[in-house]
Parts: sequence; C-alpha cells; structure tokens
Amino acid sequence: MLRQDINELLTQTGPGTPMGELFRQYWIPALLAEELPDNDSPPVRVKLLSERLLAFRDSQGRYGLIDEFCAHRGVSLWFGRNEQSGLRCSYHGWKYDVTGQCVEVPSEAENSSFCENVKLTGYPLVKIGDLLWTYMGDPAKRPGLPEFEFMHVPPEQTYTSKRSQECNWLQAFEGGIDSSHVTFLHSGGLKSDPLFKGAKGNEYNMKDTKPFFEVADSEGGLFVGARRNAEDGKYYWRITPWVMPNFTMVPPRGDHPMHGHFWVPIDDHNCWAYSFDYHPVRPLTAAERQAMIDGHGVHSANIPGTYRPMANMDNDYLIDREAQKRGETYSGVAGIAMQDASLQESMGPIVDRSKERLVPADSGIIKARQKLRKAAIALRDEGVTPPGVDPAHHRVRSAAVVLPQAESFLDSCRDAVKVTPGVPQASV
Amino acid sequence: MSVSESARAASASEALYRITRPIAPARNARVIALDARAATVVRRIANGPWAAAGFYTCDATPGAGGNDGPEGGVLLRGLDGATAALADVLTDTDVVVVIATDDSGRAPAAAIGKGCGARAIMTAGLVLGDGFEAEDAVAALRPYARVLMLSADESDVFDLLTALRV
Repeated sequence: MLRQDINELLTQTGPGTPMGELFRQYWIPALLAEELPDNDSPPVRVKLLSERLLAFRDSQGRYGLIDEFCAHRGVSLWFGRNEQSGLRCSYHGWKYDVTGQCVEVPSEAENSSFCENVKLTGYPLVKIGDLLWTYMGDPAKRPGLPEFEFMHVPPEQTYTSKRSQECNWLQAFEGGIDSSHVTFLHSGGLKSDPLFKGAKGNEYNMKDTKPFFEVADSEGGLFVGARRNAEDGKYYWRITPWVMPNFTMVPPRGDHPMHGHFWVPIDDHNCWAYSFDYHPVRPLTAAERQAMIDGHGVHSANIPGTYRPMANMDNDYLIDREAQKRGETYSGVAGIAMQDASLQESMGPIVDRSKERLVPADSGIIKARQKLRKAAIALRDEGVTPPGVDPAHHRVRSAAVVLPQAESFLDSCRDAVKVTPGVPQASV
Repeated sequence: MSVSESARAASASEALYRITRPIAPARNARVIALDARAATVVRRIANGPWAAAGFYTCDATPGAGGNDGPEGGVLLRGLDGATAALADVLTDTDVVVVIATDDSGRAPAAAIGKGCGARAIMTAGLVLGDGFEAEDAVAALRPYARVLMLSADESDVFDLLTALRV
C-alpha cells in the first residue's frame, strides 16, 4: 500500500507539482517524427504534463512546441496556417515562430514593435531517431540530449510506435517493471507472438511461474532482476532496467529485437506509451517490421489516423472469451500491449494505492515509487538534480542470461546491461 | 453513443463506488537483523506503526545455544533482550524480512533461509549499504529469499513493511 498523499505526489504531474517539476528536468518524447512529416505540414495538438501545446514544423524545417492558444483572444492555433516560417492564427492573423515569439500582428501599425512583447510559452523540440523530444523545464538547466540506444542505431534497425492509454502514467509505468505478470497475462503471446515466440527463455518463463527477484540501484534508476530455474545448477535471469523517470526496457528473447517503453503523462488521467523495438547489430527484417506495424509485440494496432488502439475501453477491448477458454490468450484480450493496457485502465484513472495488498515480489515497484518520491522531494526542497538526467545514465540495456546459481546477476552482467555499440544483446 | 461496460467501469465517477472497508494487516511478519549495524536499524524501525510484526536481532552463530538441529542453532533475541529459538519465531509467520549490512550474518542467513524455505514462508532480504560488504550473506540468502533488495537503505525497510501492510 501507499499513503494517499504519496500517491497524489507521484501521480500529479501538472505545472508546479513536485512530480511535474521532476518530469520537467528531463527531455521527454513529445510526438513521433512522422506526425510532422514535412516542412509546413499541419500543426499537431500535443498535451504533455497537463499543458495544452501545439507542435509544428516551419518552412525551414525547424520544429516548435508552443502554447496551443493565441495570445490575442485565446483561440486554438491548431486552426492556424503554417506558412512562411511561422504559424498564423486563422482568426486575426497573428503569427508566431517556433519559439512562440509573435512576429506579426496585422492590426498594428507597419513599424510597430508591439509583437516583440508578445511571446507564447515555447519549448524546444528536437528530432532524434523516430521521436521529437522536448524539454519543458528551466532553460538554464537544460541537460544534454538523450542517448538511449534505440534512437541512435541506424534507422533500419529501429521502429517506434505510440498509443494513448487512458490512465495515469504511474499505472502504466509500473507494469513496465513488473516482470512477474508475464507468465500469466502474456502466456499466450510467448507462444504465438511473432516478436516473442521461439526463444529458449520462453520455456524457462513458462516452467517456473514463481520467480525470485533482486532489485538493485543503478546510476539512473534501477535494475530489476527476475530469476527462474534453468537447467541443473543454473538460473535464468531477466534483467529490466528503469531509467528515471519513465524509461523501461523489456528483457530480450532470443535474437528477437529488443524493446521497451517511455510512459509519458498527458494529464493526470491519460498517458502516452511510446514503444520501441530495435536490434543493436542488424537491420530489422521485413517480417519483423511488418509485425510491429501490425501491432504485435509491444506495439498496438491503432485506429487509422489516430494513436488510439483499435481495442479500447469503448469496445471492451474486443475481449474474446472463447480465445480465453482455448488458452490462446490469458485474459481474452489479444496483443501484449493491450493485455497490459486493458488491465491498467481497469484500475481507474488513478488507482487508490492505499487499498493495495502488495507482496514482496512487488519490491521493484516499491523501490521505484520510493526513488521517485525521494527525487521529487530532493528537487523541490534542495534543488537536487535527479538520477536519469545525465545522458550517460541512458546507456543501458535489458538482458536475459543463464548463470550459475552462485553468481550475482549484477556482477555477471555488468557488461551485458551497458550499451556497447556493435555488440549484440545478451539474450536467451 | 452507448458507453461500453469497460468504459463506464473505469471512469473516475465509478471509482467512488469501490469498497472502502478498512483493510486488516495481511501479514504476520518477522524482521530479523543479521548483524550489529542491522540491529541498530531494526531497533529504530521497530518504533513504527506496525500492527503485526516481531523484531529480532541475531547475535548468535550456528551452534550457539547447543542446538544442532535443523535450524543450525540460530538463536534470536527480541528487542526486549529475551532469547527466542528460530523455530519458535517462525511459527505462525508468513513473511520474514532479514536485514544485513555485512558478512558476519552469513551463517544465520543461510539457516534462516533454510528454515523459511522448509516452512514455505516468504522471505525477503534487504542489504543495507553498497552491498559489497555483505556479498557472502547475500549469497547465503539467494537460494531462499524470494526478494533481495540490494544497496538498500533504512527507508527501504520502512517502505517495504508499509507496502506489505505489516
């Protein structure tokens, strides 16, 4: 269980809240690069950390993320005209550049300097890999750009998707560091999903449903090791890294691409799941990429033209009780991503954690909550920069290994959980 | 448009109808310090608002107390100074949390782990500090502890017990 006041602290990410300020120390994914495919392409509404924003790409290819609403009368700039290196409000023609600076007010005199004093809130928007990243904090404290491996491998080796999730970010994130649900909820996927099936590690997963856990600090967050029995005298370890505040990776399976997520608060009742797959040393095959596009693995099949999953709460997630009976899916919901999302959304917009009955196997979650709380308070009270801001903290990988029983996963996998360009993932 | 059952059930308004009866403590826990520094922590933690927890130190090595039985002669001591046999401490318990800071508790760790394993008692181990000084104790616990929290600190003990509703 968690005290209600701590639950509120961890789940509220709007401006001025401790967790909101924590998130504003980091570069976070704002949207997919594909959403702004061309210069002067239509602007995109973006809500992040409870702020209504608008993203656009100007005539010179510069990206901007600014207050959605015109400074004049408060209309949405989503209706604006993206033209001639700026976004012009459709109501009275006020025009803004990618920083939010007003550059033209047609009703003013020709040489008026009025617009120089009008500036909307604007945040930097930077393309790295398949994502556009923003930093919503104090410009003076802007950290180095993110260095997560999936963004820096060649484009043919990586794929990123996103989907909306209708619950608080913490519910979604906690699923990302909870390794013990895989054997149950995703048991069907381990046998059938093209991006999961066939790995030797799946057999260990299915044979041993009572994993042991070890939780250890890392520079940027945590490593959560889940241990299951393997052959004589050995353990199968699945190692999940968490980089604060919201990056998690799933331990790999065989030579399948590696995958993970960013869990990004939209507001306190909604979040984005940015889901990526990449292979450190080879291009994704056409079949793998197609499977990702089709919504297999950690991805979802979305309603065309949107990032809302086709299986969603409005259609009861297309639950198929017959498939559940046949054992094809454990919950009746198809797809790894929606199996997680359906259960996490069923908890309500913000689950009341004071009602929980946690067990020791939830220690990763317990520890992560504590680290978030301590970091948010240390930032608020003492201005301490939290873990995970330093780009060096981003250079981690998940791993799946078989080790002799006497070996510590931390000692044996120090290299395996570090990013080493050109070196394959440690996987079983 | 009609709203699905899932959409209705997951709404904030429906959350108001969740049953709110008080939840009884779920665990009858034992917290055991394996070494002297861990004992200091356990004494402080014991002052917390726990409903169903017993706190012990472990100042004996296997063989102490003349007991060579299945518990390896581990002798525990309650915070009031009274001694207690491991077998007695583990009776009617469903979770044992052991705290280590160094390797001096290696042998008791193994004995406690075995004892818990034989009784199907959930065992969690917390290693305070950077963990390097307690590698042997960790190795002794590893086969039995369902959870090992490495590089922990005192607040981890408190948060774990709180989360478990001890």
